[in-house]
Amino acid sequence: MNVLEAAHISKEYPGTMALKDVSVSFESGKIHALIGKNGSGKSTLVKIFSGAIEPTRGRALENGRELKFSSPAEAFQEGIATVYQELSLSPYLSVAENILMGRLPRKGPFVDWKSTYAMAEEQLKRMKVSIPPSALIAELPVWQCQIVEILKAMSYNPKVLILDEPTSSLSVNEVKNLFSCIRQLVSEEVIIIFITHRLEELWELVDTCTVLRDGELIGKMDMKAATHNDILKMMFGDVEVKKRTREVGGSDEVLLEIRGLTRGNKFQAVSFDLRRGEILGVAGMLGAGRTELLRSIFGADPFDSGEIRFRGQKITSHSPLKMKRIGFALAPEDRKQQGLNQIMSVKENLTLAALDRLTRRSFISRKKERELAERQVKDLEIKVSDLEQPVSSLSGGNQQKVVVGNWLNSEPKVMFFDEPSRGIDVNAKQQIFQIIWEQSRKGISSIIVSSELEELLEVCHRILIMRSGRIVAERRSDELKLEDLYLLCMGASEK
Amino acid sequence: MSMEEDNPGTSMATEQTFKKGGAAQLVRIYVKKYIMELILAGLIFILAFTAPNFFTVTNLLNILRNVSIQGVIAFGMTMVIISGEIDLSVGSTVALSGVLTAYFTGWLNKAYGLPMETTVLIGMAIAFIVAAGAGLFNGFIRTQFRIPSFIVTLAMLNALYGIAGMITRSFPITTLPLWYNKLGAGYVFGVIPIPALILIALFLLVLVIMNNTSFGREIYAVGGNEEAARLCGINVRKVKMVVMMVVQMTAALGGILVSSQVMSGSHTFGKGYELNVIAAVIIGGASLGGGRGKPWGTLVGLVFLGIIINAMTLLNMSEYMKNLVTGLLILLAVLLNSIKYSKD
Repeated sequence: MNVLEAAHISKEYPGTMALKDVSVSFESGKIHALIGKNGSGKSTLVKIFSGAIEPTRGRALENGRELKFSSPAEAFQEGIATVYQELSLSPYLSVAENILMGRLPRKGPFVDWKSTYAMAEEQLKRMKVSIPPSALIAELPVWQCQIVEILKAMSYNPKVLILDEPTSSLSVNEVKNLFSCIRQLVSEEVIIIFITHRLEELWELVDTCTVLRDGELIGKMDMKAATHNDILKMMFGDVEVKKRTREVGGSDEVLLEIRGLTRGNKFQAVSFDLRRGEILGVAGMLGAGRTELLRSIFGADPFDSGEIRFRGQKITSHSPLKMKRIGFALAPEDRKQQGLNQIMSVKENLTLAALDRLTRRSFISRKKERELAERQVKDLEIKVSDLEQPVSSLSGGNQQKVVVGNWLNSEPKVMFFDEPSRGIDVNAKQQIFQIIWEQSRKGISSIIVSSELEELLEVCHRILIMRSGRIVAERRSDELKLEDLYLLCMGASEK
Repeated sequence: MSMEEDNPGTSMATEQTFKKGGAAQLVRIYVKKYIMELILAGLIFILAFTAPNFFTVTNLLNILRNVSIQGVIAFGMTMVIISGEIDLSVGSTVALSGVLTAYFTGWLNKAYGLPMETTVLIGMAIAFIVAAGAGLFNGFIRTQFRIPSFIVTLAMLNALYGIAGMITRSFPITTLPLWYNKLGAGYVFGVIPIPALILIALFLLVLVIMNNTSFGREIYAVGGNEEAARLCGINVRKVKMVVMMVVQMTAALGGILVSSQVMSGSHTFGKGYELNVIAAVIIGGASLGGGRGKPWGTLVGLVFLGIIINAMTLLNMSEYMKNLVTGLLILLAVLLNSIKYSKD
């Protein structure tokens, strides 16, 4: 039996402790889950095992031998394999070529295809899966790609296999298939560590469950003895959810009506109202269709059926341009790819959505441009030394404020925020919330999509819960407890 | 710690370097920023002493005249490249527009007895309209079917040469009025070449569009990050179609200037222009990835290329040697630009 052990591991970052004196061990022949909310330290722990970062104090041990790697590549050679949620396969190469990438068997100078396929077949047998070794990755469903990725790692016969959220982009059936294949590996002498956000998967797959919270080890449980409530309590503790200031309230006037909105398999029959000044949250797990819903309402993506009404008027032939003109705004999920123009300056990024407002007969007024940019820098407390500074030189939080400021300049009536606090620090997060509340006081409505459930409870008046593309529940946030919201999102039946 | 967390350390460092910046660093920043201008100034300085008759008013104006035809196209191309697209079909538009102008001048003159002095204007108008149509077609195929503009305009390049050849039946058309020759070969005040004036006028126009209008800003936004521009409510399709149309119209202008200089329209005009034009724009600091580039840079790139070719002629270099040197200098300029945009 092999054992992977964390011995009193701490990891300090300037201003935060990512891990505090964590000691835990994982044995081979079992599948171990590692869970915790965002920021609980589970990624940090995994990165220490896989050689991506070094602990500040403490050691990682494998069968009593200390693990010290200078790079993930070295860790991999020493038998610590990590499979990340983003696939690293070449889509237009075959399954066999992907598994044996970089070490294809040869006959003289040529690839020996016969033994390539035979070797791949042998690997595929390990997980009892029937994928033709000659199939192209691009032709496979996502769960089979995950299998290929896992087999690629397993073909090096690692001692430790770390699976970082392999199920986040899979449907329920695909998860079942993947799990039955992963189960096949248990008989081998490999330590499997499985990271997930989906609680219900724990009972289907894993043997033990290790819970981290705020960098501390809360406990390790045998899944046979664990109940839903045990796990939730370990994950959340008795946290006090901060409440927004009382004075922020919505009115009764309905601004936006969504009726039966459907887009293929992304979301179906979504209906809700948004009132003036209201802050509405959309909760749900990754892949529940939240981002897709926002994008379709905003006109960034099309939808198949249903209708959108704004102030009673049905919106036809909608596009981001049209939605902007009638008063909508979207701060997208991926700041760098979708929210900002990294080549442009802070000033230009702050005035892009409001370009109409600073032009007269299509000529840009430099004075107006500077005014609008300066106003947002002041109001949102964006830290810049110079408006001409490239936006790419700002920190994550300040970049997010530029995205928001850009839209505030267009004087919207309804703002959509997709994961507004992703990758920004606590202070910036609070400032973003303040902005949202401030807008609400002025009668501007917001819809917020976030994976951080505490955040939704803190900021929103009302929360819609989405699961597999549908709205399954609606709650007022002051009547809702964090654990209940989590359960609603998971869709787990009470155990 | 979530995976996508930004690294606060590095961004803070960049913010600080921006604030501090001693004198030495300032010099470095400016040298980096104006590297092509400095090289051009150095080149002029050296040539003024080494190449006979280089630093004379006549020769310098001559250089402007020589680059003017490809130059007008280069300003259209600057807009296209900043928007993240490319147009390889401009060379064939040069041929076709010269041919169309000459053909309609003669045909309208013969069929309706109108004087050639008038019919040439109609011919020019037709050349511009056809070019605009070709550009809109390029832009439409590009945006509607998401086919890279490289492919679309490569196809257009062949097609337009084909049409030009069909009209001329391989013989240059020479039915053009005398005054037409002034456009490409005339002088104002006896010294300033008219095509050089047209070049400067177009430079100023594109400069104002790119720097002072919302349309210019939209071109930069679309080229820098198309998805972000779309989500900001910019009509990406309109921007791309308009710039693809504009570059074709500048190519038509170039074609009219060529045909006016040689007083005929031929399907052989404009061969290889697209690459020289793109070279000038890239030397001027534009990025084929889109979002970067300046009209001023393109002017510098044009003059740079013009001076090198002129100097090599004055120094009596062979045609092959000229090609070799030009090739190496283009490579050098692009390397310097890549340093310019790299981080410290």
